[in-house]
Amino acid sequence: MKKSIQSIVTLTLICVVISALLAAVNFVTAPIIEKAEAQKANEALLVVMPNGKDFKELSVSDYELPSSVVNLYSEESGGYIFKMVTTGYSSGLTVMCGIDKDGKVTGAVCLASGETLGYEKTYGENFKGLDASAADGIDTISGATKTTSAYKNAIKDALNSFIIVNGGSVDIRTEEEILADNLSVALPNGANFAKEFITEVLDGVSAIYKAGNGEGFVVVSGEKFIGIDKSGNVIGENEGEIKALALSALEKHKNSTHSEIDISSYEGISERIEKAYKTESGNYIFDLAAAGYGINGSYHASGEYIRIKVSATQDGKIISCLTVSQNETEGIGSECAKPSYYEQYNGKTENTISEVDAIGGATLTSRGYSTAVSKVFEAIKILKGAN
Amino acid sequence: MKEQNKLSIILKGLLLENPVFVLVLGTCPTLATTTSVIGALSMGLAAAAVLICSNVVISLLGKLIPDKVRIPCYIVIIAGFVTLVQMLMHAYLPELYELLGIYLALITVNCIILGRAEMFASKNGVLESALDGVGMGLGFTLALLAMATVREVFGNGSFAGFAIPFLENYRIDFLIKPPGGFLIFGVMIAIVNAATKCKAIKKKDFGCEGCPSASVCRAKPCAAADENLTTKVGNTQKEEK
Repeated sequence: MKKSIQSIVTLTLICVVISALLAAVNFVTAPIIEKAEAQKANEALLVVMPNGKDFKELSVSDYELPSSVVNLYSEESGGYIFKMVTTGYSSGLTVMCGIDKDGKVTGAVCLASGETLGYEKTYGENFKGLDASAADGIDTISGATKTTSAYKNAIKDALNSFIIVNGGSVDIRTEEEILADNLSVALPNGANFAKEFITEVLDGVSAIYKAGNGEGFVVVSGEKFIGIDKSGNVIGENEGEIKALALSALEKHKNSTHSEIDISSYEGISERIEKAYKTESGNYIFDLAAAGYGINGSYHASGEYIRIKVSATQDGKIISCLTVSQNETEGIGSECAKPSYYEQYNGKTENTISEVDAIGGATLTSRGYSTAVSKVFEAIKILKGAN
Repeated sequence: MKEQNKLSIILKGLLLENPVFVLVLGTCPTLATTTSVIGALSMGLAAAAVLICSNVVISLLGKLIPDKVRIPCYIVIIAGFVTLVQMLMHAYLPELYELLGIYLALITVNCIILGRAEMFASKNGVLESALDGVGMGLGFTLALLAMATVREVFGNGSFAGFAIPFLENYRIDFLIKPPGGFLIFGVMIAIVNAATKCKAIKKKDFGCEGCPSASVCRAKPCAAADENLTTKVGNTQKEEK
């Protein structure tokens, strides 16, 4: 009993003495550590705002900021620093951007990234000294489109956040949200809009959307969205000229008919082209089977072609391009099914098709896709020559 | 003669009873922090500092600490010193603090320190314990340094961060990875064994005789051999008998 008590007392005493000693040392070191940590955080802030003084961290949740903004610091003279985390080629692209009281970028650096090419290390320098409209004019770098466009969007988010924290309001919707909003404003009864595959040259019209519930169409001309209901009436107040343009474009689109061409009777047409059609107006439509990763890939290749639909004029200009089906690597090659990829081909000719940006990390998919599409130009020449 | 003994307490930690290559203690930090010379050196010195302090305190408290709770007491003392070193390094040497990371806190459970507390400090005087701490600490540091030198020079083509002209282009990446660590560790043990002509470890049997810690261990089976064993090692004292 006596021994047990002795044990307890000794251990307790040792613990108390050690704790007291640690508390004493902590009393000395804690302020030094805190100062060093603050200094370190400040150093990163000073890189993007060299003249900044007296940085204070503010709570991001106090404002309705774009979702990429994770940290927010104010500066004595009225500037702000924003830290954004976004996804470029891979997730975790962290960008810090300082904006002075006049709304000009004082500096932008990448703090962390998993990008492949390293453009994110220097790309931020382009924005130095620019305001929101000038920053918009900075080009993305081709070959590193994903990295640089994500970077640029992060800077835009910072510039928008700057307006928000100063009491302004900014449209922080994504492109998809803006499109969906525009469509439903143009045709309030419409729902489940889907983009139409266009086979005719429609001057002044960039796209036609069809309401999935059969309520009508929305014709896009420049910035304008013109809704046309199922009985063919233009909805809302639109000027006569644009009204006529939309109606005639939709009419032309709906009346477009085409018939199949027997391509087996022509020589030299690429095997990538499975079917060809000709519209009454003389345009061509092709069903393509592109050999992407699914065919040429070496590891877990699906064995499936990428099915593509392309319409083009007799002069060899692509009107519309659409990925019908694909079974490429999910998350990489599957990007070819997104409008942001295949719509790049719209309006391209034999000479300009090389301007299309490849999908990062999906060389085989991109190569197979563009090879197949470029066979269209050759085929048009053969089909036309035979006529 | 007494002076001689004190010197030998320090010296034995360097080679004959080297904690890493002979006693095979503290293997985890040895493998983990020897990818760079700076990391190894700072790890060794931090551990040495903790070892000296804990040895001194434990030998001072040796008789006061009841046998039943001695291990918890030792651990509290060791953890206290480790936290102390950690706080001081964080405040004054932040770069090293970040370099060592979790391994700094893990000095607490480094078996060299608890091992020396249990085997040596608790049974010897303050001065001897301090000297043992110095010897073992230096032995640990030197062992880490030797391993880190090989691994960094050949694995990374640099020494203490400075690139070495020719080797820099012919790095053996494998060496700075964990398997390379084990390989070098094994080779080093072999070299130490060869250098000491197996005086350090001569395992004739698996009893106390063959144990490199036999000179300080007073567990019952060793008691017989204990009387004239305090400073000498392994088979050497056999010849003296």
